[in-house]
Amino acid sequence: MMQRQAIGISGVLIGCVLLGPVSVGAQDASAEKQQMIALGIEHETAAELYEALRARAGGGRRLAWDRLPDWSGVYTRARGGITYDPDQPPGAPPTAKLTPEYQAKLQQRIEGVAQGVEWDPISTCAPPGHPRWLTEPFLKEFVVTPDQTWLINEMVNDIRRIYTDGRGHVPEEDRYPLYNGDSIGFWDGDKLVIHTNQLQAGIYQRMNPDYSDQVETVEIWQMTGDGLLEVDVWVYDPPALREPWYTKQSYARLSNDDKSLRIRYWHCGENQNNTVFETQEGATQFRDFTFTDEDDRQGDSK
Amino acid sequence: MSRFTTALAFAGALALATAPARAHHSALMFEVEKTITVDGVVKEFQYTNPHSWLLVDVTNADGTVTTWGFEAEGPSTLRRAGIRPSDLKAGTKLTITGRPMKDGRPAAIWVEAVRADGKRFDPREGFRVR
Repeated sequence: MMQRQAIGISGVLIGCVLLGPVSVGAQDASAEKQQMIALGIEHETAAELYEALRARAGGGRRLAWDRLPDWSGVYTRARGGITYDPDQPPGAPPTAKLTPEYQAKLQQRIEGVAQGVEWDPISTCAPPGHPRWLTEPFLKEFVVTPDQTWLINEMVNDIRRIYTDGRGHVPEEDRYPLYNGDSIGFWDGDKLVIHTNQLQAGIYQRMNPDYSDQVETVEIWQMTGDGLLEVDVWVYDPPALREPWYTKQSYARLSNDDKSLRIRYWHCGENQNNTVFETQEGATQFRDFTFTDEDDRQGDSK
Repeated sequence: MSRFTTALAFAGALALATAPARAHHSALMFEVEKTITVDGVVKEFQYTNPHSWLLVDVTNADGTVTTWGFEAEGPSTLRRAGIRPSDLKAGTKLTITGRPMKDGRPAAIWVEAVRADGKRFDPREGFRVR
């Protein structure tokens, strides 16, 4: 069960979220982060937090074609490498407050790596899924229209569609697990607020925890100037997390003066030399290379 | 499992997992601490997703030739590193350093290549945010 702390400052916290970035120094940033963490804890579910934000925004506004936020350009993750929480100190374990079951899973993963045993589920060319989507370190593009916003990761041509035309989630009886889930959103000024459910279980990243198929997220995306898109993310996942995991993600617009940096079709299986398999021990190993003569890795997979 | 225990294990495993951080698959089939450096001639530059491979023919002491494969990131990351397919055409002479596979096969993570004219190519530069 997710721990619930009584913090009776709902209006204040949501007000801080919706009024926009105010901090400049490290101390202010830390205080702001604590507020965001408290805001997540204050709400039992992602849906509750999303609805509270929507109510505070008066239901949100409808974008007009001639007044769209300028999110054009090609971006990449600004901080964090492939660690889920960019604020995780170097050499420290992930910052999530995990349940004992998921803490044990993380421990097992870490001990495996120490023994040379690691298997990443995207090694099969499967998409990373959300919320891991946030961490992939390649090129990203963001396409804003009044009715939908597309959040595009070049890796495996991976698009998250955020519906902002006022529709809700699909009915419970129509739901099934999706890599990127079902995302609805609204605009509060120039901030895009998103609720995502209907997700599959996965991992936040290598050397990071698992999430369950009950995971849901709330995100607030905002261009903060100088080509930096910042995202407040709350992950709710009662089987895995003792409290919502708040992180701030960010994506930097890359310089591209000659316009040569372009997102191309990504065929993950185009080169046999990248084919790997999971060994009996759960480790990763290459199959046969095109540039060697030996067929030395056939038939050794799980 | 205590968080302290996890922290200790994490610190030990971190170097193994992150030294040559790879995008699509674990890098634990490569040596983390060791590097090899060879002189050779480019046989083929496979500029592909999710990883590119630079195939280099290396002449051994006994006169035989071994083709080595050096793995790097895909096209967009190489482009950001300033490494173009035309930079390393077949026949290009170079010296290349990599982290070799643990099982002895002639493959490695591409760390740095130096062309005969002195130009250096480091794929990791492609992850710089600029």
